[in-house]
Amino acid sequence: MTALLTILLALFQLGPSSQNARCFLCHGKKDFGVVENGKFQSLYVSPKQFEASIHGKFTCVQCHTDVKVIPHFIRPEKISCLQCHFEGNTVGAPVKYLPEMYKYSVHAKASAAGNPNAPTCETCHTTHYVRSPKDTSSGTYRKNIPQLCGSCHKKEFEAYSKSIHYRALENGMLGAAVCTDCHQEHDVLPPSDPRSALSAEGVVRTCTKCHADTLLMEKADVPVQQPEAYSESFHGIALENGMVRAANCTSCHGHHDILPASDPNSPINPKNLPKTCGKCHPHADKNVADGKVHIIPSERSAGIVFFVYTFFKWFTLAVLIFLFAHIALDLSGFIRRKYSRHE
Amino acid sequence: MSDSNGKIVDTADKMIGQVLKEEKVELDEEFKSALKDELVEKIRRHVEDKRREEEERIRKEEKSRKEYFLRFGLNFRLQHLTLAIGVIILIVTGLPIKFHDTLVAKIFFEMIGGIGVSRFLHRLGATLLIIVSIWHVLFITTTKTGRNDFRQLLPTPKDLKDFIQNIKYLLGMSKQKPRYGRFSYIEKFDYWAVYWGMVIMICSGLILWFNNFFLGIVPKFVFDIATEVHSDEAMLATLAIVVWHWYNVHFNPEVFPFNPTIFTGKISKEKMLKDHPLEYEKMLSKSEPKQKKDKPR
Repeated sequence: MTALLTILLALFQLGPSSQNARCFLCHGKKDFGVVENGKFQSLYVSPKQFEASIHGKFTCVQCHTDVKVIPHFIRPEKISCLQCHFEGNTVGAPVKYLPEMYKYSVHAKASAAGNPNAPTCETCHTTHYVRSPKDTSSGTYRKNIPQLCGSCHKKEFEAYSKSIHYRALENGMLGAAVCTDCHQEHDVLPPSDPRSALSAEGVVRTCTKCHADTLLMEKADVPVQQPEAYSESFHGIALENGMVRAANCTSCHGHHDILPASDPNSPINPKNLPKTCGKCHPHADKNVADGKVHIIPSERSAGIVFFVYTFFKWFTLAVLIFLFAHIALDLSGFIRRKYSRHE
Repeated sequence: MSDSNGKIVDTADKMIGQVLKEEKVELDEEFKSALKDELVEKIRRHVEDKRREEEERIRKEEKSRKEYFLRFGLNFRLQHLTLAIGVIILIVTGLPIKFHDTLVAKIFFEMIGGIGVSRFLHRLGATLLIIVSIWHVLFITTTKTGRNDFRQLLPTPKDLKDFIQNIKYLLGMSKQKPRYGRFSYIEKFDYWAVYWGMVIMICSGLILWFNNFFLGIVPKFVFDIATEVHSDEAMLATLAIVVWHWYNVHFNPEVFPFNPTIFTGKISKEKMLKDHPLEYEKMLSKSEPKQKKDKPR
């Protein structure tokens, strides 16, 4: 009786690692593989690395559900990550970054069109060694994302690597914008798509997300009023109300190779402003550099505009007080005359 | 009618009887009744004439009490109409830009078809405003009535006296309402507020409208000032119109619901005597010597 119980307990205590050990009998051998179409294809999975991954606590057959007996001689079906990572799943698979949205992305479209280079889940997340984006050794860790995307998007990475965002990231500012902050993680859409975070209207929201964040901007030593000032400017108002050709953030600042105004290569460097403004305003010359950009009239930093604003504020108030007082007097006079006439 | 007719017949009878008594003559019945009829007819006609005359006199008196003067000529009225239409278009299409965060502005842009449409309308209103400003400058320089009106619109020390007198009158400290000329200080204030507003709005508006042209001429901060001034003065002008102008010509209980003079050009003698007594007196003194001059010819 006690022997039976011990066996049962032992059976229940069998963890995934001891269950997976049976798979690793074959798949744990480095030279394990098959020859397919005359090519050797490795079927090796490093047990060490798999166990260190975020899925290490699961058994192989939890994903490879069609493997029932060992050894299996048929190729298991390709598995979908969405079988766990769907919204409302009960196994606790995280969906914070909306993996389901991948199906709308340019990547999914290219993949469906038969492009063999189009990335799928495992291209970025790896197949068996998936790690949390919080894990510094993960390919999807913030600091590693530029290299991850750059492995395909070489030209974009080159431009980005010159930017202030990348420089900050290299200097340990983890909050600095990486690819996914603007392009989204999974629903990467072209800027021409109105749903995209990079559409003309979307790009303002996308930049504002970080550049209106007081704490983050304080750390980066970047002024925080820019998005508010922009949305109050005519460019911002026009864009917000259907004039797509109005200048948005990237029209002046560029996108991948964003640099501060102090940098001579920046499109917003005073020397380069005539050219930058000239993209839309053909008569722009060095005059456009003569004055501040992104000003909030009610703040002292706006310079002369602040004084104009203040003058009009008090002037309007004074005029209105006078007008209302005169009207009140006129009405009271009318009422008194009417009252005394009736007497 | 028959009752008064009977009275007249009685009177005629009595008159004939008295004459016959005094003269001591007898008349045959036929002549007497013919004479009576004639007399009755004459008296009746006389009474009717008198009555008609009286009615005519009363009617004339009433008419003179409702006598109208021409206060604003057609030119003057059309200027105001153009200005009013322009300003309404400008306010309706301009305020949503200033208050672009509000729901009303969002609904407005949605309904009108985006800021591209409202911007076009705003520039249409601006064109009206520019046209009326040029028109008005020509009016006050080239026409006699225009020059005369402009001269009377210039502020004088009397306006300050009128203002103080009016305050006293409104407070009940004085029984005497200030005696205004052609334009009261209230009307002058309205006029000069528009004058100042037009100069500011048209200047700043042109810089913003033709930004490409001005970019090569003025530095960037001038655009910032123009933007701020255009927005702030628009607010001030709108409030002045809604509060001050609307009170004076619409909501003031003396003129409610509105004073039609600026559209019809007519002002009643009664209102003229009350609101512009000095102008009335001046008009009378001007027309009287003319009549005297005409007489000797």
